[in-house]
Amino acid sequence: MRKFFPVEDLARDERFNQATNAERMADTRGTSNTGVIRKARSTNRLTPARPDATDAARSLMHGIMVGEIQALEGAGRTCFDFVTGEEAPFELKLDMARQCWDEARHVEISVKLSEWMGTELGQFVENTVLFAAACSQDPVLRLAGVNRALEGLAIDVFTTMKEFGELAGDPYLAFCEDWMLADEVTHVKMGSVWLRKITENDPERRAKALEFQSVVDKIFSYGGLRSESDESPILLARRFRELAGFSDGELSEIADVSLAALNERREALEKTFATSPA
Amino acid sequence: MADPFKARNPFAPWDRRELPGMFDVEETARRVGHYKWAEMKLFEVLGGWIATVPEIDVKLRLGTHCYKHAWHAELWHNRLPELREMNPERLTCPPNDAMVRFVAALTEPEAPEMTIEKLVGVYRVFIPHFISAYTFHLNNTSQITDGPTSRSIKFILQDEFDDWRDGEMLIQSLLTTPAEVKRASEHQARLEILLIEAGGIAGPGTIGSADVE
Amino acid sequence: MKVTVEPSIFSIVKYDADEIAGVAKEMLTLLGMKSTNLTIEVDETVAMSRVTTTMGDPVHVLAMSSAFENLRKPRTFSADNTKFSLGRGLLRVRDRLTGNFSDAPVDEDLSIVEAATWETYCVGRLSRLGLKVHKQRWHYNFRNRHGFNDATDKHFETIWESDDLTWSQLTEISRHAIA
Ligand SMILES: [Fe+2]
Ligand SMILES: [Fe+2]
Repeated sequence: MRKFFPVEDLARDERFNQATNAERMADTRGTSNTGVIRKARSTNRLTPARPDATDAARSLMHGIMVGEIQALEGAGRTCFDFVTGEEAPFELKLDMARQCWDEARHVEISVKLSEWMGTELGQFVENTVLFAAACSQDPVLRLAGVNRALEGLAIDVFTTMKEFGELAGDPYLAFCEDWMLADEVTHVKMGSVWLRKITENDPERRAKALEFQSVVDKIFSYGGLRSESDESPILLARRFRELAGFSDGELSEIADVSLAALNERREALEKTFATSPA
Repeated sequence: MADPFKARNPFAPWDRRELPGMFDVEETARRVGHYKWAEMKLFEVLGGWIATVPEIDVKLRLGTHCYKHAWHAELWHNRLPELREMNPERLTCPPNDAMVRFVAALTEPEAPEMTIEKLVGVYRVFIPHFISAYTFHLNNTSQITDGPTSRSIKFILQDEFDDWRDGEMLIQSLLTTPAEVKRASEHQARLEILLIEAGGIAGPGTIGSADVE
Repeated sequence: MKVTVEPSIFSIVKYDADEIAGVAKEMLTLLGMKSTNLTIEVDETVAMSRVTTTMGDPVHVLAMSSAFENLRKPRTFSADNTKFSLGRGLLRVRDRLTGNFSDAPVDEDLSIVEAATWETYCVGRLSRLGLKVHKQRWHYNFRNRHGFNDATDKHFETIWESDDLTWSQLTEISRHAIA
């Protein structure tokens, strides 16, 4: 088996169809508060009050499920790709193996929740951006991009879904999201701890990892999926992020990046509307 | 109530543990170092394979089992300094080159069509050899002086049996034609031959000798 | 039965207007609505599954692009999804044409509870007409709008199994499901 497994080769059964983040970004269609949709929605945040709430929650749940599969695969690759001791500490690999078990459970949970919500495996396209962030040649960058950026996003998503379940009175959704949330906080923390430990005497490597993290954050925030603006579907869960080891400055930066991405998306949408026939 | 000051035997009548054991501290450390190396190689390859198998049930089992073997490696890593090996890395090694070749052959399959080979290598060869190595160690070490190793082995064996059953059932569910059975047994034989050469997970003498002296 | 589709040429999604018109005619036939004329307007700038209908001759159908989309392969067409999305919209039109739904709000003004109730009624009937339907999806939608309990589930089944309800009967069951 090769070291460093390319994202294009991720193995899936016949039900799944994958798209890269570039393909996703090439889709200029809107799902937010524009045109006719504005009338139907007062906020873009995912709450049961939204007319499309059920389908939006199902689609998000499917996105979570495939994200969990990729998180599992990414953590697994970090166990294998690096020489223990020379390229990655033994204890870091133990953490990644632990993460494999956690992510495997998260897949199990998400599959059950998807069934509960009436979604079939592979019903929606799979975006492979998470695993793409786990393909870095530097384990520290993987931890920054996946554990700190993307799993940080998972915290925001799970918080939103948990609230959704509580508001709708869904007994399973809130229960499961709460459990997954606990695990994800641990994973983000792993990222924070190892980033600090490994780059303690290597400011250049640390800077690079942090830059990578912010790029991943920006890519994923494209579309204004998450920001502290009310127009964003996913609330940035500040408290959880603090627990996971983010500083106040980092929290504000993520909020800024998310807002900028939302604005970019809005501009792209306006262009689409301006050029399409009335 | 019985008189609390009445003299009692330190070993209760049902406690049949004995002092003698086959392994001294040095030999125990040597074996434990090999166990750690082998468990590491196993959790690493299980982790690496997750992305390569299309079958979602297999993917999830590999992820779950990956952690268990990492935990076994951690137990052995923590045991080494207690066995006077202050540099655990020194003894974290394969018993010989044949064992390295075995792990390389085990790890080789990558293609998404090779799930049978991947599972056979782990669940029909490597894990059965772990079970025998650990069982031999448990049954031959001093039940009193080496209590900590015995306790770890008992935890680990429970995992190995559970995972062996999971893996064996996955293999049986994947073997649906005579050709697939042949593929599975040929791969198993190829790996088994390499392990014979290595003498087992801890090298020659891993499970003692059954010969009449 | 006359069906026109706008736009005639798509630029963002890979749909074909004639193919959509063909599926619409198939559905009109299946639903016994051969005398109904349609204008189908597809908003290809929005990736949502919403379909709203406005009564008249022709009946105006406004569909967001995901209503006709193969969700596994974004921006490509799915005849099955189109059948299903149009089927739900057209059954509402058919209900309105009976006169038993004259007190129902226009599509755009349906509350989320009313919409979920009517969807359940439509999808149940579509499943009996042979369309591939994932019942659990609509059950979950109904629960989201009415509550997660055994009583709600019972009312869901009543609506799902029905073929000849009026708007007032439908809203009455929905009220009981929430209570
Ligand atoms: Fe997860
Ligand atoms: Fe995670």
